[in-house]
Amino acid sequence: MAEYDLTTRLGEYLDRHLVFPLLEFLSVKELYDDKEMLKGKLDLLSNTNMVDFAMDVHQNLYPDQQVPTVLKDKRGQVVNELKTLQAATDVITKIFEDPEVARTIQNRDGRQLCDFLYQEKGFRPDMVETLYNYAKFQYECGNYSGAAEYLYFVRALLAPNDKNFMNALWGKLASEILMQNWDVALEDLNRLKDIIDHNTFAGDLQLLQQRTWLIHWSLFVFFNHAKGRDTIIDMFLYEPSYLNAIQTMCPHILRYLTTAVVTNKGRWRGCMKDLVKIIQHESYTYKDPITEFIECLYVHFDFDGAQKKLRDCETVLSNDFFLVACLDDFIENARLLIFETFCRIHECISIGMLAEKLNMAPDDAEKWIVNLIRNARLDAKIDSKLGHVVMGTQAVSPYQQIIEKTKNLAFRSQVIAQNVEKKLGHSKQEVNQWGMQE
Amino acid sequence: MSRFFKAGSDSESETESSEDDEIIQQRPSAAPVQSRTFQFSDDEDDSRRIVRSAKDKRFDEMTNIIQQMKNHKQIKDMANVLNDFEALIKAADKAKKVIQEEGVPRFFIRCLFDLEEYANECWEDKEWRKSISKNNSKSFTSLRQKLKKYIREKYEKEVNDYKENPDHGDDDKRDETPAPQDEESEDEVDTPVKAPVKPKLPAPPVIKKQLPKSMDDDDDDDDDIDWDSSDDSVESDIDDEQFDTGKLTAEYFLKKSDSGTSKKEKKRKEPKQMKLEETDEEGDWEEVKGGAPLIMERPKMFGKDQEINVDAVLKKLYEITSARGKKGTDRNEQIELLKELREIAETNNLGLGIDVKLYFNIIGAIFDYNPNTLTSMRNDVWESCLSYLQTLLNILIDHPEVNVGEHIKEDDENLTEAPLYVRGCFLTLVEKMDEEFTKMLQSCDAHSTEYVERLQDERQVCDILEKTLRYLEIKGTTLEISRIYLKRIEHLYYKFDTSCVYTGDNEPKKEGTSEQTMDKLCKFLYTSETPDRLRTRAILCHIYHHALHNRWFQARDLMLMSHLQDNIGHSDIPTQLLYNRTLVQLGLCAFRQGNIRDAHNALVDIQSSNRAKELLAQGLLPNRQNERTPEQEKIEKRRLFPYHMHINLELLECVYLVSAMLLEIPFMAAHEMDVRRRMISKNFHHVMKMSERQTLIGPPESMREHVVAASKSMKTGDWKACKNFIINDKMNAKVWDLFFQPDKVRDMITVKIQEESLRTYLFTYSNVYDTLSLHTLAEMFELDMSVVHRIISKMIINEELMASLAEPTQTVIMHRTEPSRLQSLALQLSDKFLTLVENNERILEVKQGIYPFQNKRDRNDRQPGTSAAFQHHTQGEGYGPPTSKSVTNNQHWNRRNNKNYSRESRNY
Repeated sequence: MAEYDLTTRLGEYLDRHLVFPLLEFLSVKELYDDKEMLKGKLDLLSNTNMVDFAMDVHQNLYPDQQVPTVLKDKRGQVVNELKTLQAATDVITKIFEDPEVARTIQNRDGRQLCDFLYQEKGFRPDMVETLYNYAKFQYECGNYSGAAEYLYFVRALLAPNDKNFMNALWGKLASEILMQNWDVALEDLNRLKDIIDHNTFAGDLQLLQQRTWLIHWSLFVFFNHAKGRDTIIDMFLYEPSYLNAIQTMCPHILRYLTTAVVTNKGRWRGCMKDLVKIIQHESYTYKDPITEFIECLYVHFDFDGAQKKLRDCETVLSNDFFLVACLDDFIENARLLIFETFCRIHECISIGMLAEKLNMAPDDAEKWIVNLIRNARLDAKIDSKLGHVVMGTQAVSPYQQIIEKTKNLAFRSQVIAQNVEKKLGHSKQEVNQWGMQE
Repeated sequence: MSRFFKAGSDSESETESSEDDEIIQQRPSAAPVQSRTFQFSDDEDDSRRIVRSAKDKRFDEMTNIIQQMKNHKQIKDMANVLNDFEALIKAADKAKKVIQEEGVPRFFIRCLFDLEEYANECWEDKEWRKSISKNNSKSFTSLRQKLKKYIREKYEKEVNDYKENPDHGDDDKRDETPAPQDEESEDEVDTPVKAPVKPKLPAPPVIKKQLPKSMDDDDDDDDDIDWDSSDDSVESDIDDEQFDTGKLTAEYFLKKSDSGTSKKEKKRKEPKQMKLEETDEEGDWEEVKGGAPLIMERPKMFGKDQEINVDAVLKKLYEITSARGKKGTDRNEQIELLKELREIAETNNLGLGIDVKLYFNIIGAIFDYNPNTLTSMRNDVWESCLSYLQTLLNILIDHPEVNVGEHIKEDDENLTEAPLYVRGCFLTLVEKMDEEFTKMLQSCDAHSTEYVERLQDERQVCDILEKTLRYLEIKGTTLEISRIYLKRIEHLYYKFDTSCVYTGDNEPKKEGTSEQTMDKLCKFLYTSETPDRLRTRAILCHIYHHALHNRWFQARDLMLMSHLQDNIGHSDIPTQLLYNRTLVQLGLCAFRQGNIRDAHNALVDIQSSNRAKELLAQGLLPNRQNERTPEQEKIEKRRLFPYHMHINLELLECVYLVSAMLLEIPFMAAHEMDVRRRMISKNFHHVMKMSERQTLIGPPESMREHVVAASKSMKTGDWKACKNFIINDKMNAKVWDLFFQPDKVRDMITVKIQEESLRTYLFTYSNVYDTLSLHTLAEMFELDMSVVHRIISKMIINEELMASLAEPTQTVIMHRTEPSRLQSLALQLSDKFLTLVENNERILEVKQGIYPFQNKRDRNDRQPGTSAAFQHHTQGEGYGPPTSKSVTNNQHWNRRNNKNYSRESRNY
């Protein structure tokens, strides 16, 4: 299943540290050669300060070799550096440990806080820089909680136009993700998104790049946070700038978007059409079993194909770091999708065939259908002699059509009326108050 | 002298001054100026000798006739030209004896040759031919025939000889005469005045007056090295040739003075020349051929003992170039002089700098050669131009130490020492060359061999571009690189490169295909700091190239990303034309790939106006009701794309109609019952309607008829007939074989026809069936079961077809939903309501502003029951007529609003 593995493509847009979980996951799944994985990890570690981890990996990779001296030297260096930085930031940490300061941080914005600190606590502007460096170093060493904590202060203190401001935000987000504080991460994510969206200075290309990164990083949050599946749809599908970024830079994200839509039962009706359009649009640049499943179902109405793809989807999902958690959800919902579409088209279906299409045993399928009928999700009867499911009649009578059509007319007219009145009132207000009486 | 010239100059502006008496006064002096070259020596003879030889007399007669003819030619008075021609033949007959003795006079042959050229040129000028009177055109035709016959019978050899070795002095005249002048019509009024006046002119006195004066002037010209030092290098002249025998003495004397005069003339005429150029009146009949005498005075470059060094050459160069653009400067002569100067410089080893500089000047002079911007270069000039460009380019490439550029000032030039700096921009020359090339192609008949010959130069042009590109990549600025890149792109994008089309997936990607070149060039332009126009054009060319090679997705994405659809209206017209071409190519590409809807959408704008030809700049539409002024027409003509870049219009229309058919026929079948009928393609409906109007419909002949016939059979679901109408030998030859891989396209069309016919069939006949077997359908339309299943499923899902499938029996079960009359009326009514509300919402959206309802209120005030007008307005947008109920509803609305408004209006 390595052909559908996206780790390499995702890795392009992720921070080094964020790739570790992915690699960890892959080595568990044993999709690739063990040795290669370890080598990859070692490569990845070479530019970080997580020397101990690197040594570990090295040991695993070459059990018969000594740990190279380079790593040992580096360890010493890192420790030294850590110590100097620690010493430099000691003063600052003291300031922040003051409960009064903590309170101020919560209540005031950056500038006020700075003024407060400068005046009251003997804080110096260059200290922010020191703090930032320290946080970065902590992050490099893999001490994410420490990094997050310091970055929190840094972010509060830095002006939005500082060169380190964005970096601090990204660092904070990465730290929170790696610590798996999903609530905080989501908050940070939204903050970062706001800033990117409202950035008018950066060029289009830069914005596109930042959005692409944000999209990838957000996958961690969205597939782990409870509300993530909703948010991912809103952000990826309904914010044109992000949709554009996906289309131009990283169509592989469509896999995650599709999964999110499929597993989010409540939003099928609204989103499916838009999703299908995009999948079709991008089908030439990216396809995998998951998008093909949707394509089969909604473009070609090829239920056999959909069913085959669904089987593929299972393996793909179980091998995807982000999606492995929603595998069952996905399969169940995908079945429902197939069935729903099937029912809309057919009047009479044999249970045997249905079972095959749904990738289930006939008895299970019957049970499943019975459950659906019992839960009033399906207007149908089972003819057990012939083994058929017979749908309720769907023909729409003209009366119903008329009712459908005119149902919201009154409401819409009312909205217009209100709008008109509002506007009139508004324009009259400008002249004088006289018109308000109506 | 001043009087003479003053008179001359005044007469130049004769078209402007309309007072008759003035014209008449001036004419006597003006005429001899022109005829002088021919009459000169003779007149002089007259004054000296009373007895003339038979030869002189005869020739004199002929010259007079020729002169007259020339005048008539200029005003395109064909009847008179014909008369003159006949008179000339008679005179020639009379002079037969003399001719036998003396040989055919050169001037006569030239006249014949000129006349022939002239006739041909007039013949080409179709516009003019249409506009002339019947009498004139009759004369013209007979003139042409007679002339041809005459030349063929008598002087074929001589004329051919002449053709090969024309008189230089005449070039410039010949170039100017054919230019069709708009002022001609005005001139025509003057003709009767001119023609009779001229022969009666007392020429000799004028000359006499003129002679001594010019002699005097000669003395004043101390500063003029050219003339004083060069008397010895006398070459043959037109006059010389005309009267080449006898009277050498008189001739000799005359020539000197003549040259002096003409020299002076040249100087004096400067301002005149400017004026001339401004008003674009080169073809005016008073044109003075100052060039002719100049030739015979062609000077030796340098004195015998003069030291030839860089400074001397430069000085000479400035001397030559300073005459540029002045009236009477013989442009051909200038080129020759420059060439000679370069040779001298070369033989004297004056170095690269001078060489490059002179090359720049020569090429510049060649481009200058053609004074009229409308006509193209002559072939030989063009060829020499190409070869000079090549040479210069090679020099520049081989010697990187030579720096050229427009930014280098004359003073900063360094022509001798190692880092050479020469003023001049090679890129501009290349661009100019490209422009000339297009012009040449435009002026050729696209179906002639001449066009093919010229087109062969494309290779050389591309070669030069390529070399320049490589040169500039090293030396040029970003902007220069961008410019040459774009030029290269513009020569590349429309050419189909078979190596770019991948037939199979496993085929290895080839190196150096035009796709990669395009990619490289365009990407550079996208990323570098180039003007928007260059970038826009590059994108368009890139899209075009993608589309041409069936890379539909890339082309589409690029088009969407460029956002050109929104702002193309603000760009210049050539770019808009390019956009149209690109759009059309995109549509064709979509069609080939089977994306019928995209194809239709891309082509609909171009096709719906019936002006595809004009929109693609592939030809002008006939000028109806004088929509365009002649100026506009000229401009438009210049914008036309050369023939080899054209997109086949019939193919375009056919693709459009077939896509429209595939979309429209099922749509019509589905919405037959609808009251509110919308059309997908108006053009298609129009074509259908036209055929319905015909009383007798025979078997289809044209492409359009084929499509119409196919549409008709598709309507009944007869896909085979439909297919046979669309794909047959006739249509293959006309349309489909023009595609690359036509079989693929035909297969695609067949499948589409099958599918859409199935849909049409289901829509049309679903009400007569209760159930339909999928197998039968699959058989009927020769489609796979799965395909039929897919199509029907899609129709059910989209609620186009009220039916459902029964899986165990593999049948379609129709759900009868035929509404009763009352029901359908009720449905219609509900539709109306919907539109009404939608309209109201839209109006509310539109009328947003500070006083959002002011306009509406005005309307209401004027017309209390506005709803009718209001409805009328929406009707224009394509909605159905109002029913009584919706009107009342609307009135109600308005009344309520009115109340508000009246109160509001009191406030103001």
